[in-house]
Amino acid sequence: MSANEARIDGYARGLFEVAKAEGTLDEVEDELFRFARSYESSDELRNALSDDQIPPAKRQAIVEDLLGGKATPTTVQLISMVVGSGHGRDLPAIVDRMVERAASSKDLEVAEVRAAVELTSDQQDRLRAALANATGKNVDLKVVVDPAVLGGLVATIGDVVIDGTVRTHLDQLKSRL
Amino acid sequence: MNAFALGVEDPTQTHHWLWPEGYELLWAGGSQVIIIGLLVWKVGPMVKKSLSDRTARVQGELDSSAQSLATATGEAADVRQALGDIDEERRRLMAEADEQATAVLESGRARLEEEVAELEAKAGSDIEAAGGRVSDELRGEISRLAAAAADRVVERSLDDETQQRLIEDYIQKVGASA
Repeated sequence: MSANEARIDGYARGLFEVAKAEGTLDEVEDELFRFARSYESSDELRNALSDDQIPPAKRQAIVEDLLGGKATPTTVQLISMVVGSGHGRDLPAIVDRMVERAASSKDLEVAEVRAAVELTSDQQDRLRAALANATGKNVDLKVVVDPAVLGGLVATIGDVVIDGTVRTHLDQLKSRL
Repeated sequence: MNAFALGVEDPTQTHHWLWPEGYELLWAGGSQVIIIGLLVWKVGPMVKKSLSDRTARVQGELDSSAQSLATATGEAADVRQALGDIDEERRRLMAEADEQATAVLESGRARLEEEVAELEAKAGSDIEAAGGRVSDELRGEISRLAAAAADRVVERSLDDETQQRLIEDYIQKVGASA
């Protein structure tokens, strides 16, 4: 394991332990996952939180402005801690590792699902059951709203990808054209 | 005083108005014989030699002229021969030039035909390639337009009902795939 991997793993373990100790693991885990996806999809946010020229206090203030009142204080503090320590670039990897750790602690497999629209609770329950049925594993469903998929869903469970998005069908159509 | 008038015979005078006296004839005749003899004896050979020399000179000149004539005739013949040779050479050169010109023309024509054939082949392949490019570009443009049109059509058709139907279909298919 490289030094960077070890650092990511260390931060993930720290986040996991703090959230678990706070008793808000599921909520924090979900908020961190959503913030990590937003971080990945927004160049502006990524540049602001990973720019070493911006003082740490300023980067932390940006996080608090964005999440204040929209996420639990634990989530805000954990993200501020990572960003303030100058590891904003590694935030998605740290969060993903933390989510995996959390799922593993519950004997679950993380299933990242991307959809063009939000899924209802009923849809999430049925999807969870369907994925568990298809993979033979209990899954921790993480839904990401991603307009780029246009329609349908794509689920990633470990190395398995089940793609039913309109975007993929459209890309295949373009390739044939 | 006139001797005739006197009737005295003058011994210094002849008796005839034309002929001299006999002794004068004798003396004169002898003198002349002597002179002529001397002339024949002394001058004759000189004259004879002179005439002989002149004859030889004239003969020499005649021979020289004949030689010159022969030389000139020979040279004239040579000149005529040379002229003939020159004409022959000129004809040969002209024939050779014609032959070379013909060969050059034939070669040039063949090369020109070859180049024309190459140009035609190249033009044909260029036209074919250009046609292929245009066809490819056209196909690419049609594909791009079709893809863009498909994007727009799909995006317009993806209303809430369709989104929900797609999600339900996905859940159903994944659930059924075990």
